[in-house]
Amino acid sequence: MYPQLHIPDGFLSPQLSLLLWVATAVLVGIAVRKSGRADVKLLASQPILMGVLGAFIFAAQMFNFPVATGTSGHLLGGVLAGYLLGPWAGTIVMATVIGIQALLFQDGGLLALGANAFNMGIIGTLGGSFVARGIGTALGGSRSASILGAGAAAWLAVVAAAGFTTLQLGLSGTTNVAIGLPAMLGVHALIGIGEALITVAALTFIAQTAPDILAGVAAPSKASPVRRLVTGVAIAGGVATLASLFASTDPDGLEAVAVQLGFLNAGEVSPFELFPGYTIPGLDGGASTAVAGVLGIIVVIGVLFALGRLARSRAQS
Amino acid sequence: MIAEPRSVGRDARAAVIATLAFVTAVALLPPGSYLALLFAWLLLAFAGALLGIGPTRLARRGLVALPFVVAAVPIVFLRSDELLWAGSVGPLTLQVSGAGLRIALTALIKAWISVQASMLLLAFASAPSIVTALRRMKLPEVIATSAGLTIRYLELLRDEARRMLRARTARSASPVGSGRERIGGSISWRARTTGNLVGSLFLRAYSRAQRIEEAAASRGATGSLSIGTMPTADPRLTIKVIGVFALVLALTLFGALLPRL
Repeated sequence: MYPQLHIPDGFLSPQLSLLLWVATAVLVGIAVRKSGRADVKLLASQPILMGVLGAFIFAAQMFNFPVATGTSGHLLGGVLAGYLLGPWAGTIVMATVIGIQALLFQDGGLLALGANAFNMGIIGTLGGSFVARGIGTALGGSRSASILGAGAAAWLAVVAAAGFTTLQLGLSGTTNVAIGLPAMLGVHALIGIGEALITVAALTFIAQTAPDILAGVAAPSKASPVRRLVTGVAIAGGVATLASLFASTDPDGLEAVAVQLGFLNAGEVSPFELFPGYTIPGLDGGASTAVAGVLGIIVVIGVLFALGRLARSRAQS
Repeated sequence: MIAEPRSVGRDARAAVIATLAFVTAVALLPPGSYLALLFAWLLLAFAGALLGIGPTRLARRGLVALPFVVAAVPIVFLRSDELLWAGSVGPLTLQVSGAGLRIALTALIKAWISVQASMLLLAFASAPSIVTALRRMKLPEVIATSAGLTIRYLELLRDEARRMLRARTARSASPVGSGRERIGGSISWRARTTGNLVGSLFLRAYSRAQRIEEAAASRGATGSLSIGTMPTADPRLTIKVIGVFALVLALTLFGALLPRL
């Protein structure tokens, strides 16, 4: 229903998965502390609003619209959540939504949850929200400027999340970055347009229909021309760095790093083997392999049959 | 899916730890350890049978993660070690790498197994009891409360969204038939229509949150909302966790000992 950015378990190396779990936990921990003294106070009780808006993001991800036959625009909602709740609370909401998707809907793995929450929560929402604010400030700081900034950031957030996903798969040795990155970035550059258009339209709708709600949202401060210039240059520099990172998709360089860090061939060597080459000691060659194979299959089928009967009896009781 | 206070009657910490440990152990198995993966799956099938889910049903429901294997397809053709086959298909010169095939296949099986593990967790413990277990395991209060509320209001808002989508379809901003003529307006018009839906769904969610807050305040709530009462702590938690780690260690050992292909 939304772009397949949720990495299932098995595609990331355990080392990278744990690293991204730690990174996400630290940043979400900071977000929890920052959201306590929030700059955005829409309701007196922040957790209630965050919880209900988490359900809202879930539901809003069901809204798609046809771009062309067979392709449709989607909403991920990271920048939208960041705009409405503030970057820190928005990040917590997105990380929670991604966690619930993994736990309740098996959309994305549990071990890969750190990576998924990092790509869409930290990069997509936290990073996206600050980019949105920056662009809004650079454009003059009015309400419509900040909404335009959110739209641009929404596009960037989708593309960046896709790029980071591909780089992580590449580091784990499960994809080829030279082929995967251009493909993923290309597809998500289109998907991102849908995200940007929906984000802008939704925020415009809210600003027109219920300006009092958005009045609580910190509109970018009216910035001095000097500050605008500085912010603009900083963002342009950031985007250029990101673009050059994507452009220099030297697979050999990346694989060299992966080998150096021990990702690629981690644990491929076994110290000793119980049934070397699927054979039974005592029998030789092909016959042995065949006997071992047939015996194994019979045992497995027997076990599965027994488990089926057990399941039926447990379901009845 | 909506939390009933009595459905939180079970301390799910052991189940949560077991699922995470199992998924980690599966992820740690080296590429090509199909026998160890088979053993891991049989363990799951056994747990499933105890929960009343037969192996066939479990296996079929595990298929949801498989489309992601597209991400691993390039390495099958682009790695140049252990060539199984090389040749040309039309204008293309293709080679199939045994090492690449092994990595892709292992990832596929691991994803399939891990999905089933989290399905079994959900079959064993209700969603609210998992949140309660995580909260016992020191998940920050803000996250626990908002996760609990998200789960509680999920179906309500999704239902709202479904009704809005049906209304939009009836007014033809989305394609109903196969012909392109059924799609209304330009792309930006369709995006604006969708954005308006998102915006009005937000306003409904916002007023829902306001009502919840008023209701909670009128009942004397002072901040964090506990989702149901905390269940009594599992007295055998320690012994269960030790058992889980013994099993996981056995799985890792099997991964090292059993032959790989």
